[in-house]
Formats: sequence, C-alpha cells, structure tokens
Amino acid sequence: MNPLQRAAGSRIAAARVGIGGPVGSGKTALVERLIPALMARGVDLAIITNDLVTAEDAERIRRSGLIDPARVSAVEAGACPHTVIREDPTLNIEAADDLERRFPGVELILIESGGDNLASTFSRDLTDFWMFVIDVGGGDDIPRKRGPGVIRCDTLVINKTDLAPYVGVDLERMRQQALAVRDNRPVLLTNCRKGEGIDAVVSAIERDVLFRA
Amino acid sequence: MFETATALALMQYGDSAYPAGGFAFSWGVEGLAADGLLDGQADLDAFIGEHLAFRWNCMDRPLLTRAHRADDPAAVAAIDRFAEASTPSAQMRDGSRRAGRALLGVSARLGGPLCVRYRALLSSDVRLGHLPVVQALVYRDAALDLRAAELVSGWTLVNGLVSAAVRLGVIGHVEAQQSLETARRALVDVLAEPLPDDLAPSSFTPLIDIAVSRGGSRAVRLFTT
Repeated sequence: MNPLQRAAGSRIAAARVGIGGPVGSGKTALVERLIPALMARGVDLAIITNDLVTAEDAERIRRSGLIDPARVSAVEAGACPHTVIREDPTLNIEAADDLERRFPGVELILIESGGDNLASTFSRDLTDFWMFVIDVGGGDDIPRKRGPGVIRCDTLVINKTDLAPYVGVDLERMRQQALAVRDNRPVLLTNCRKGEGIDAVVSAIERDVLFRA
Repeated sequence: MFETATALALMQYGDSAYPAGGFAFSWGVEGLAADGLLDGQADLDAFIGEHLAFRWNCMDRPLLTRAHRADDPAAVAAIDRFAEASTPSAQMRDGSRRAGRALLGVSARLGGPLCVRYRALLSSDVRLGHLPVVQALVYRDAALDLRAAELVSGWTLVNGLVSAAVRLGVIGHVEAQQSLETARRALVDVLAEPLPDDLAPSSFTPLIDIAVSRGGSRAVRLFTT
C-alpha cells in the first residue's frame, strides 16, 4: 500500500522506508546520520531494527541520544533476515502499526533490515520506498553482480567512499556501473563516518517519500 | 473427513509459509538448545510431545475452543484477558501477543470481518491479542469449524517448533520430516480426546517456561521466544 492509498483513510499514515544491505555495509551508521538530519528538517520519526542475533543495533540507536528510545523497536528475524522483510513481513508491519498507535503524529518510519546478502529485497506491503546499502570495501564488482537488492531498490547507496583509495576501487567507475545496471535509477554516495552525502539521501526521502517540495 | 475446500484451507493456514510471523518464534527450542537441554531428534520429539500434552492441549486448545464459541468481541476479549492472567511468564505472554497480533493483522488485511472488528479493540487494551484466541477468530473467518481450527492450531505449533530446530542446527532436514511424523501421531492422540466443556485452561511446562523466560537476558538470540 503506498502513502496515497493509506492517506485515503481517516488519517495520514506514516511513510515506511526500508534500509537493507549486506552485513557491515553501514546500515546502522546511515540510520544514525539520518535521524538528526531528518529531525532537523522537522520530520517526526521512528525506527525499527531487525537484528540478526542480538538487539545490538536497536540498543545502539536507543543509547545514541539521537531519538527517544521509545521510538525505536526491535524485531527478531528468527534467523531469516530476508523473510522478515519480504516473504513474511507481518512482524515488521505490526511493529510499525504499533509505533503509529503510540506516536500518532509520526510521519516516517525507517526499517533497518538485518545484514543479509545481495538477494534481499523489501516487500511492497511493508515499505513505500527502500534503499540498499553496499560499501566500497566489498569491492567495485558488487554492482556488476546484479543482485536483486542492487537492481530493484529505489535508491542504491554506496557507502564508505573514503575507503576507495585503500582498497583499489575506482569510485566513479563503480558509480557508473551501478547506474548502468539500474537503468540510471538513483545511486548516491556516502561516507557515513563523516556525514558526507547524507543531505542527498535526506533530500531523496523528502522528495520521493514525504512529497515535500 | 474434511471436504476438499476445507482440506485446501487447512493446507493454506497450516503452511509454514503462511505470513504470520511464525518463523520468529521458537517457544523454548532456542533457549533449551542453548543450555544443552535439547540436542538432537529424540530430545526434540520429547519436547514437542511435552508442548502438545502439557501446554497446547490444556491451555491453548481450551482458549481456542472458548473463543471459537464466543458470541461477540467483548466475550472474546474476556477470554483473551484470561489468557493474559493465566500466563505467568512475561516473555511467554509477550510472545503469545506478538504472534497473535501478527496473525490477526494479516487476517484483518484480508478482510476477515471478525478479525477486523477485534483488531479495532487492540489499541484500547494491551493485554489483548493472544495467539490461541486470535487463531479462533481467524479460522472462524476462514469458515473452519472447531475441529479444523484445532487441527491447524496444533499443526502450526508443531511445524514452527521443528522449523526452529532446523534453523538452529538441532536437527537436519530429513530428521525434521521424521519429527513431523512423530508429532503427527502425537497430535492425533491428543485430538482424539475431546475436551470437557468446563475445562479451565492451565499448563505445566516448567522447563519450557524457564527457557522462554530467560530469552530476554541472552546476549545472542535469533528468536522472539
């Protein structure tokens, strides 16, 4: 269900944005950068994490001081990180519904998946928009492998751009190859450690998800 | 025997792929395995037998039966609150509610009228949404009679336990099928005994309850329960 369909109900539902990607690509770091950036732009926000074997990501965000800990929910993935966002996203949907019940003004819910592989994708029943995060350290051949996550996401984020010279990656060539396999759909570059490229991600969310000018 | 349409509905609702979050609940398998108390197929078969005999048959089944016969949402809610009050373990209560609310959400989105009405009550009472109570509503919406509803409820429990054991490496995929066959026989035996109408829901599965209750304190955990 997209935001316009849900808005046809009695109140405007929160938009739901998925953030997926391989283990260690920087999904939690991206969320940690997006929280203050989105809040600075006045977005009423909540978070769901899908940790694989611990509640570490949820606790990391709760303790970050960036957001009210009550606005961070953890959903266990039962050893199946892709199942909980694709084949059976009901627990995430219920967690999102619960956040909307507890925080009626919430506009945006970020749903961070557990670390998975290049085949993971989000159900459209769960998310209105989803991003896939890969990182330069994984090698510049990741886009060429054409995993469904890389190909089908609404926005591909290539993180850890600062590592490119140290791992022998031609960053511009990696970006061009990503654009080529994605038929020129959005590819954004970030360095979450230093906050580089975050404004472009926030602007994409504002424009394509929240429909703000 | 069930008619073809009912049999197909049983397969749909009893399928482990039915999207109701069941894959995230181990109901004690993970905890007992972590403590070395569940290791291999024989242990798993005994564990499933204990679940069926001393929890599902005397707790979940009577709750499901009452909810299946309940006249209105208020009566269902009373049964739901009884389920909450009758479950001492906070983790078990929370797991039952999370599993139930997930199942209810799917059925409500599919337009099940009983589920739509009952889901509207949930925001007003955090105690509501226990799995066996919700199963009764979902299966009533699916036009399953009580016997069919019991069958799906028992089978989804068994299927979930075996699936969790496979993912945790307790058993392999072939052993899983053997365990399911063993569990099928156990479920047949349990269902052969009709429940007395006045049976008060109760359970006695101390090891399972402790294993689930300790889940929140485990540093490494794959499952909700």
